[in-house]
This record gives sequence, C-alpha cells and structure tokens, in this order.
Amino acid sequence: MYGETGAAVREAFAELLRQHRVQQRLGGTADERAAFAKQIRAYRQSVLTWCSQAMAAVSPLTFSNQAPTRANPFRDVATSGHVTSPAGALARAINRAKTESTVPAASIEQLTTLAGTVSVELWRTAAKAAALAEHDTAPEVAQTMTVPQAQAVIADVAAITQALVVLDQRYRHTPGWEQLAQVGRLGWAALAAALDANLGQPDYTVDTLGWRPRVKPIAGPAKPGILGGRQAEHNLLVRMKTIPNATNLRLVIDSQRLLSRHLVPYADRVDQRLADRWAQRADTYVELQRQFRRIRGLTGHGAPAAAEGANAVSRLRALPATTIVEPRVLGGFQMLFDRLDHRIADIVEHGIATRDLVQRVRLPRLDSSSGDLVAPVRERCKPIEPATNPEFVDLLRRRLRPHPRAQVETPGPSRAGLHAALIHRPPGPGFGAAPGL
Amino acid sequence: MQLRHAHTLAQARTYVAALADEASNDDASSAYEHVLIELDRLHCDQSPDVYLDALTQDRTIQFDLATAAIEYLKQYGVDPLSVELVLWMLQDAYTQDCG
Repeated sequence: MYGETGAAVREAFAELLRQHRVQQRLGGTADERAAFAKQIRAYRQSVLTWCSQAMAAVSPLTFSNQAPTRANPFRDVATSGHVTSPAGALARAINRAKTESTVPAASIEQLTTLAGTVSVELWRTAAKAAALAEHDTAPEVAQTMTVPQAQAVIADVAAITQALVVLDQRYRHTPGWEQLAQVGRLGWAALAAALDANLGQPDYTVDTLGWRPRVKPIAGPAKPGILGGRQAEHNLLVRMKTIPNATNLRLVIDSQRLLSRHLVPYADRVDQRLADRWAQRADTYVELQRQFRRIRGLTGHGAPAAAEGANAVSRLRALPATTIVEPRVLGGFQMLFDRLDHRIADIVEHGIATRDLVQRVRLPRLDSSSGDLVAPVRERCKPIEPATNPEFVDLLRRRLRPHPRAQVETPGPSRAGLHAALIHRPPGPGFGAAPGL
Repeated sequence: MQLRHAHTLAQARTYVAALADEASNDDASSAYEHVLIELDRLHCDQSPDVYLDALTQDRTIQFDLATAAIEYLKQYGVDPLSVELVLWMLQDAYTQDCG
C-alpha cells in the first residue's frame, strides 16, 4: 500500500535531514568514507529511480494549476499539460539526475544487507522502501487514480527530491561524493512542483492504493476468548470469496444474525452506538433469513464458510457474560461485519442477475383442476424479478449493504515530519529560533 | 416430487416457518430455521414455497402439525433416519422455545 511504503521513505529522509556533521557520523578513514559515499549514491539512485517511475506513471494526470494563457479546446491538453507543467519540469530534472549519475541503483544484496553506520542504514531503509513503493505507483495503479490523488503523489515526490537536494549539499565534502546533475535546477523544479500541487487540493486517499498482501485464513487452533470468534469471522470472510450455494448462504446468514445479537450485550457496556447498530444488523438478517425461505439456488459451494460461521457463533456462546471487550476488538468486528455485508449483498445481487438464485413457487391449497382440458405444466421455480420484489431489493440495497462513509484522509505524520525536517535548523549557537544580528 | 409429497413438504415448511417467526428468542428461532434448512437439504433444495398463512395461531397445534407433516414424509420415500433426525431437531428447537 502506498501509505506504508511512502511513509517509510519520508520517515527515513526526515531522520537523515535531522542529522548534521555527516563526516563525523560516517566516521572511519577517508577510504572508508569514500566506500560509504559510493554505497549511499547507489541508494540515492534507487530513490531517484522510483521518483522517476512515479512521475512517469502519473504524467497523464498532471495538469498545471496555473490559468492557461490562451484556451484552445483543440489542443492535446494532457500531453501539453505534462510537458509545460511544473510536474513535467520536475520529471525531466529527475530523469536528468538519474541518467547522469555514474553509479547504478543499489543491488538486491545492498538493499538487504545491514549497513555499517546509522546514516547509511537510513539511506538503505529509504532505498528499500522506494523499491517496494514501485508496485504502489505502477502504471496499472495510476490508471485508477484521480487527478487530486496524482497531485498528492507529485507533492510527495517533490518533497523527497527537495530532501535529496538538501542532503546532496550536506554530503558534498564526503570523499568520492558525486553531486546530482543540475542540482540547482532540480531543487527549484521540486519547489515549483510542490507549490503547484498545493494550489489544488491533493487527495491523500492515494495512501490506500497499491499492492496489498493476499488475505489468508488465520490457521491453527482457536484463539482464546472473543479473539476466537473474531478469528472465525475473519476466516468466514475469506471463505466467502467463493460463491456459496443457497443452503450454505442461509447458514451463513443465520450465523450473522446470531453473532450480531449475541455481541450486543458486550458492545452495550462499551459503545452504545455500536450496540444499536448491531441490534439493527441482527434485525436485518432476521428479515433476510425470512426472505431466503422462498429462494433456492442452483450452483455454488460454500461449506467451509458455513462451518466458520458456526465456529464464530459457538465460540461467542462460550464467552462468559461478564467479559469486557476492548473497543479495539469491537472495532475489528465492525470492520469484518461491513465487509461481510458488502460481500453477501454482492453475492445475492449477482445470483439474482445470473438467475443462480430463483424463487420457489407456492402450491395451491386445494388441488383443484385448472379448468383446462390439458393441465398446464407446474413450474418449480421462477426468476427473482427486482420489479416484483421491491421489498427484497430494498432490504439488500438499503439495509444490508453498509452506507459508504465519507473517507477523510489527512496528510499523515510522515508528510508533516518530512516538511518540518526540510526547514529545521539544528539547535546551538548561531542557530537559534530567533534571528540573530 | 409428486404433488402430494410437495403439499406435505409445503405444510411442514409453513408450520416450522410460523414457529420460527413467533419464537420467544433468537436461539430458538435459529434452531427452527435449521430445521427448515435441513428439510430443504433433504429434498435437494427443490421444496415449494411456504403457504401464505398458517391455519392456526396456536403454537402447540403448529408444532404438532409440523411434526405430523414431517413424519408423513416417510410415506414418500424420504430416508426415515433423516426424518427422525429432523424431528429431533424440531423437538430440540421447541424445547428451547418453550422451555
């Protein structure tokens, strides 16, 4: 996820920026410092490579926030916008710095081997995080980004570039050091890109994009107490990846009804609103269960999901009534409930659309003849038409599916930390907060 | 499935559903739902829909009618052991409900 890898890069650079007297920190003889410098340049090259790739990935979404001098609707805005925008200038400056460097990017051995000193280790951390961030800002991820999200990435790259420029000045007396090509231009381009990005409103929900590890079931014996219930609920969510048949889906629905109802007393002692919400969820599942009595399915599997639902209920039933559950654990349940409700709603809607779920037909009370000479063929089931089942559709879309909540992402502490580190001054004589004469 | 078999099954489902709807607690209601699910599973999920209304509101009579209908399923070739297991599930649910 970009939020994690980007923060790791920024935190490493913020720490490096707070370090002064770099020659002393590197220590050793001139030859040893030259070896460290070469290693650091390799790490810097890795960071520059990521910066370059990230800028290339978001380039179709980079538009300058400056008002155009002459609006021409027939001009190719995307191409010309990137070329003439501060982001385009920054991308070119980064590419120049990268291609004119004489040292290759850090190898896998350099990225995975502990460095000798604290400073070099910080550079290694930054390079490692940059290498990992590559798949979070890949072109296929950038295709899903919005323009404000791309602006957030540009602002991040600009801040990291500014950090590289400051550190380049600070390390310039190190033996074997090679300054960045056209470092002055690179610094100004970074400043201009950062300012331009902040003229708009960068959207920090970009932190939620990128690669995520595959969710796996939590194996092993049941965890003690309520954690066992949460473990089973997590496993149920994972097992619901495959579409269950109608019978197993009914068992899952029953487990969710019981789980919500049994959790209400525990939530009531900690969070009243959550208790109300879960009581409402239990009522929704009661109604869904009633509706599912007249629905049958043609395909699917889902026995492991039904088993995990039963596990969750039995583990929760075994919990003493006096147990006090942490708010964090309750929050974990809520997150799982939201995802599971979404998944169940998706499965049912998909089943209705593909007619994998059909409606049972009611038999007449009295087996009288139809009045025709030839008795009509009895139907065993019929499709679920949303138009003739408004209650069911309303239940799925309004009550079961959680309402999307406005997600407000803040810049986060790592961005604020890097910006503070860029402008900080070390304490000491001549470096006081108040301007001296 | 013959029509008489379908009628008997629909009757059993109707009374078990009525018991589930009016159960005194969620655990008992869930136990009745499990009886319904088991009945459907025995019939490869080919059961007809429940009737619109149960003929009686008396819970004891509803239980007796559901038990009789489920027992009668043996006449239509449903595995007797499975029927007995379903009856035991129904009895267990009724005990939870009224106990």
